[in-house]
Amino acid sequence: MKKSSDFIKYLTEGLNDMMRICIDEFKRIFGDRGVVLIFFVAGLAYPLLYNGLYKNEVVYELPVAVVDLSQSAESREFIKKIDATQEVCIKENCMSLEQARDLFLRHKVRGIVYFPSDYHLKLRNMEQATVSIYNDMSSFLYYKAMTMGVSYAMLDEMKSIQINRYNAAGITGEQQAQIMQAIPASDVVLYNPGSGFSSFLVPVFLILIIHQTLFFGITMLAGTAREESRSHSQIPEHLHGRGIYRVVLGKGLSYFILYFLISAYILVLVPRWFNLPHIGSIWTLFHMIVPFLIATIFFSMSVSVFVKNRETGLISFLFCTLILLFLGGFSWPRASMPDFWKYLSYFFPSTHGIQAYIKINSTGAQLSQIRFEYIWLWIQSGIYLITACLSTLYVVKKEKSPDAIQA
Amino acid sequence: MKADALKNVWKRELRVMFSRPIYLFSTVFVMGFCYIFFLTMMNEGLPERLPVAIVDLDNSAISRRFYRELNATQAVEVVSKCSSYSEARDLMQKGEIYAFILVPDNFYKDLLSSKRPEISFYVNNAYLVAGTLTYRDMLTMSTLASGAYQREILRKKGMSDDNAIMGRIQPIVIDSHLVGNPWSNYGVYLINLLLPGVLQLMIILLTVFSIGIELKDKSSREWLATGNGSIITALTGKLLPYTILFSVLGIAGNVLLYKFVGFPMNGSFALFSIATVLFVLAHQAIGIFMIGLFPVLRDAISFGALYGILSFTYAGFTFPIDAMPPLAQGPSILFPIRHYFQIYTNEVLNGAPFAYSIVYYAALLSFLILPFIIVKRLEKALINQNYPLK
Repeated sequence: MKKSSDFIKYLTEGLNDMMRICIDEFKRIFGDRGVVLIFFVAGLAYPLLYNGLYKNEVVYELPVAVVDLSQSAESREFIKKIDATQEVCIKENCMSLEQARDLFLRHKVRGIVYFPSDYHLKLRNMEQATVSIYNDMSSFLYYKAMTMGVSYAMLDEMKSIQINRYNAAGITGEQQAQIMQAIPASDVVLYNPGSGFSSFLVPVFLILIIHQTLFFGITMLAGTAREESRSHSQIPEHLHGRGIYRVVLGKGLSYFILYFLISAYILVLVPRWFNLPHIGSIWTLFHMIVPFLIATIFFSMSVSVFVKNRETGLISFLFCTLILLFLGGFSWPRASMPDFWKYLSYFFPSTHGIQAYIKINSTGAQLSQIRFEYIWLWIQSGIYLITACLSTLYVVKKEKSPDAIQA
Repeated sequence: MKADALKNVWKRELRVMFSRPIYLFSTVFVMGFCYIFFLTMMNEGLPERLPVAIVDLDNSAISRRFYRELNATQAVEVVSKCSSYSEARDLMQKGEIYAFILVPDNFYKDLLSSKRPEISFYVNNAYLVAGTLTYRDMLTMSTLASGAYQREILRKKGMSDDNAIMGRIQPIVIDSHLVGNPWSNYGVYLINLLLPGVLQLMIILLTVFSIGIELKDKSSREWLATGNGSIITALTGKLLPYTILFSVLGIAGNVLLYKFVGFPMNGSFALFSIATVLFVLAHQAIGIFMIGLFPVLRDAISFGALYGILSFTYAGFTFPIDAMPPLAQGPSILFPIRHYFQIYTNEVLNGAPFAYSIVYYAALLSFLILPFIIVKRLEKALINQNYPLK
């Protein structure tokens, strides 16, 4: 009997402490201009900003120069077709390659299409005619627009040439179609069908924004507390320095409540407002957000042991945002990542958060299809809870030691 | 006398630099780590062995040939043979494959009886890079397969001249020149943006920090006194070690990329390295401007972080500036990385004569006006030392 009532007393005391610490932490968050700036302004504004910048998704009407030395009906026909594509727009007609090159170097045009003088002769002789294109490689999207625009025009032009030739050779109808394309191919883009840039990258950014604002907010709070040497004042007096987990859980709870709301805004509302992909179920999303936030919170609290000042967290770790973006496996596909970096990436909540979120949100995956990430996030939550307790314990011990006052 | 004061500030700063790990960490370590990270991450140049699947409902000689030919292309690897569409789609949603190819049943029979059977590709462009590359390889494979079959038909019709056959099958060929990056190496793309990006981030943060910490620790008067009371001397002596350090790190990066790794350099290495030094100076100027504008370390750091992260976008490399909404295009001139990137395009990729880039060099130089605008305000803050505690 006695044992069980002791246990209940212990439990209610623990819960009371936890709630008190949680409320204290809320006060500290809202009392700190820097943290408010990171949590609310950065957390809420960055998603809007990136959506605004990448709003156009793809490059339309890329300005291009044409050098037509062939000056024939054939070349003019092809040029008209290139101009008609939505990717490319013929902006300049040049007399020579030199003239086009000058425009190219001055960034007035982003590509050159060059017809040699024998273009029409080769076509009339039923040989292969060559058209040269020069791509501006200063952006992948320039290259892509140019290649696609010219290819579409070429395929169409080829078809009309072939029809004429086979007609002339007396091959018509079904037989003609068979020679022209024995095996037709159809392509279906299952997810992100517009192949848009922001539909691809912004969802990745959204997860990173949550991960990084949470991280920098938490390390800033921890750094400030250490500057003022008051981490230990958070430990309830009657515990005599034990009960670290109450501090960790209490603080963690306050971050979790806040970020649950912020995540709902970033991961659920923003994609709907800006018409980013959002074909996943909200319920599955909920299952992923919970362990992702827990893992991120405890991860940040663990790392904050290295942050001794308010500002050093940002200076030391801001570049990691970029590293985490790449470890997430998007800009560079995960399948081509060296093993070392791949395994390293498993340690960061952002990696699994990014993968899981894209699979749910952009490709409509069910919970069973993101099992790998889901399990990893829970394992991280457990491990980082323990390391967060150890790191808090270390900070408290260090502050209580007598030489802390000089340091 | 002035030279003495400068030397004293310089010496004082060197002592500071070695007193705390953060200075060396955020310069040598961060840049070194990033060089190693990005070069090893993208050592293949183009992503390879991207996993795809084949749904073979025909199971014939020709569908097995597709499988072999697809495997032989550079970018993809067939990791799975599925028995149904839904099985392949499940793999795609799990993220295990980026694309799959579907060969319908009776494919071979239909082909022989001239019914023009269709093969289908399914691509996941939620992973845009991997999706684009796998799509390209699948398209190549099917075009080749189709072309081989057409060639056989034309031969059966009595054509023997290969040139004439190719003229029939493909009357127009596109000869594509990728100026400055002939292998369309994706690593060359990314690394040349990312490393200057990290460099500018660290320059701004560290410039703000090294000045702001004097305010915060209330050592700013002593710092000014070391500089004989001249703020120009004090700032120069303080920041010169970092100018040298960051310039060395930046140029070391150029040497690494263009001399050792063998990235293409079509212009002048020396001119580009001068741009690197100007790039360092421009960001130090921005750092001074920020701490002068917000003479509170934590505020200036937050502002610098915001600006530094935005720089990556405003380099205009991943997504071109001229494809952004008109209102968003203007601010790009406020980011030195934008001008640096134009110089990179001209000098390294296009090998353009210097005249084409001169305006961008001038733009980088113009950032050096910033400190002079703010210097009075900064001096006041350094002298007053009324740093807010909270």
